[in-house]
Amino acid sequence: MKREKIMRVFWPIGFGIAFLLLWEFGIFHDLLNLKPFQLPIPSEIAITLFENYEQAFSDMLITVTGALIGLVIGSFIGFCIAVVATIFPKWGFGGMILVTALNAVPIVALSPIMNLWFTTGMFQKIGVVTVVCMAAMAINAYYGMNDLKPFSLDLMHSSAASRWHIFKKLRLPNSLPNVFTALRINIASAIIAAIISEYFATSTAGLGFGIKDNLRKAEMAMGWSYIVVASIAGVTLYLFIVLVERDVIKWHASQR
Amino acid sequence: MELTRRDRRVVTLVWLGSIIVLWEVLAAVLLFLIQDNMASSKLPFPHDVLITFVGEWRSLLTAGFVTLSRAGLGFAIGGMIGVTLAVVMSLSKIAEKIAFPYLIVSQMIPVLGLAPIIFNIVRDMNMSRIVIAAYITFFPVAVNMLSGFKSVEDEKKELMRSIAANRVDIYLKLMFPYSLPYLFTGLKIAAPMAVTASILVDMLGSKSGIGVRILYSLYSSSFDIFWASVFTSAFMGILSYNIVIFAERLFIPWKNVASKKVGAK
Repeated sequence: MKREKIMRVFWPIGFGIAFLLLWEFGIFHDLLNLKPFQLPIPSEIAITLFENYEQAFSDMLITVTGALIGLVIGSFIGFCIAVVATIFPKWGFGGMILVTALNAVPIVALSPIMNLWFTTGMFQKIGVVTVVCMAAMAINAYYGMNDLKPFSLDLMHSSAASRWHIFKKLRLPNSLPNVFTALRINIASAIIAAIISEYFATSTAGLGFGIKDNLRKAEMAMGWSYIVVASIAGVTLYLFIVLVERDVIKWHASQR
Repeated sequence: MELTRRDRRVVTLVWLGSIIVLWEVLAAVLLFLIQDNMASSKLPFPHDVLITFVGEWRSLLTAGFVTLSRAGLGFAIGGMIGVTLAVVMSLSKIAEKIAFPYLIVSQMIPVLGLAPIIFNIVRDMNMSRIVIAAYITFFPVAVNMLSGFKSVEDEKKELMRSIAANRVDIYLKLMFPYSLPYLFTGLKIAAPMAVTASILVDMLGSKSGIGVRILYSLYSSSFDIFWASVFTSAFMGILSYNIVIFAERLFIPWKNVASKKVGAK
């Protein structure tokens, strides 16, 4: 059993180290016919990141702040849409079809529009992230509120529960796992959306701007270290949501 | 919910219509009441956008097709690699142990952030469109396909083995059909992302494609074309999603029947 556990950790980490070593010693460069200045090696990226970590950290804070504010606003609006659509089933259903369509709209197309509407980089970011997070939350929460076990609704009706009661005691708790699924989806897409909006925005700070600016200056190692920082931020926020989820919905089957 | 098909269609159309009307009103308010002199760029009249689209449809659709076809090619390649990896992971425990943690982590990191870097390495716009679209399709397909394979009950596999079916047969006749719904879940997630990736590469410095139209019209302040291009790219995303749904209906006809039964309870 113990051996099993060790192997479970050993294989992925061993593979990761082997991958980094192949990269470090230029095997990938030979295979793909690349020059070191096109694809910097890991040690160079690590050193660059270490030397510029203050800059990278402040840029990350800007991007993450925008992503989180947009995430909160967008998820809240999305949840409200789901609630309204549940209260008015017939008309709400049509609204949900449109939200689904909105979900398929490419983020990139949104960021120039937000550039026209808002003048500062922060508001552009928040605008793009809000729209992106809205759709996923609305769809998941709506699904959670309406995908009830058939008998549970009958039980509520048999005890003459009001619609408000049904909503509070049945639909809301039932939607919680789906809400957290949406939050997990949103945390990743919020950071992506924030970075992409920075590629095209007028902002002069943030991870996306940093990546673009450093590539323009042919500072490839710096661009890569921004990717590393963005990934660390993404994983941290994701784990945070997972921890909260574990606490809030202890009763759900997926947590047992 | 006892909504007939016709009801649904009516409801959706009413929604669509009221949003367009609301948009027209807002645009009018912005233009005539607030007198914003950027009104036509911030929120143009929908009918103006439509007129521009009709006037420019040939060039817009050509640009859209360039972007969409590269996204589609990358999507197909990424999907195939994803399915292959899922098969390898389901065959070998070691491969699963190696790859699965990375697949999970990949869902947490901003993969599209790599797009400019890949573009910088590859330096060829068609190639990088395909590479990035494939790269982004690969993860959700592999993860979903693997959970599809895992959801096949052992009894079913044992039944196949008891009639001396070989591995290929087990995969072709049991594992693949069984995990098709999971595959399509992954494809539905990936399709709009592949289009996004392709447009992003356009905007990073290609010479053709819908993203280029968006950027150029923005720089040259021809906002009617800008809005028409934005709408075209939005439709491309929606189209890609609907193509996958159409394919799902085609390949999994039994799923529709099942869901109808549930609805009729």
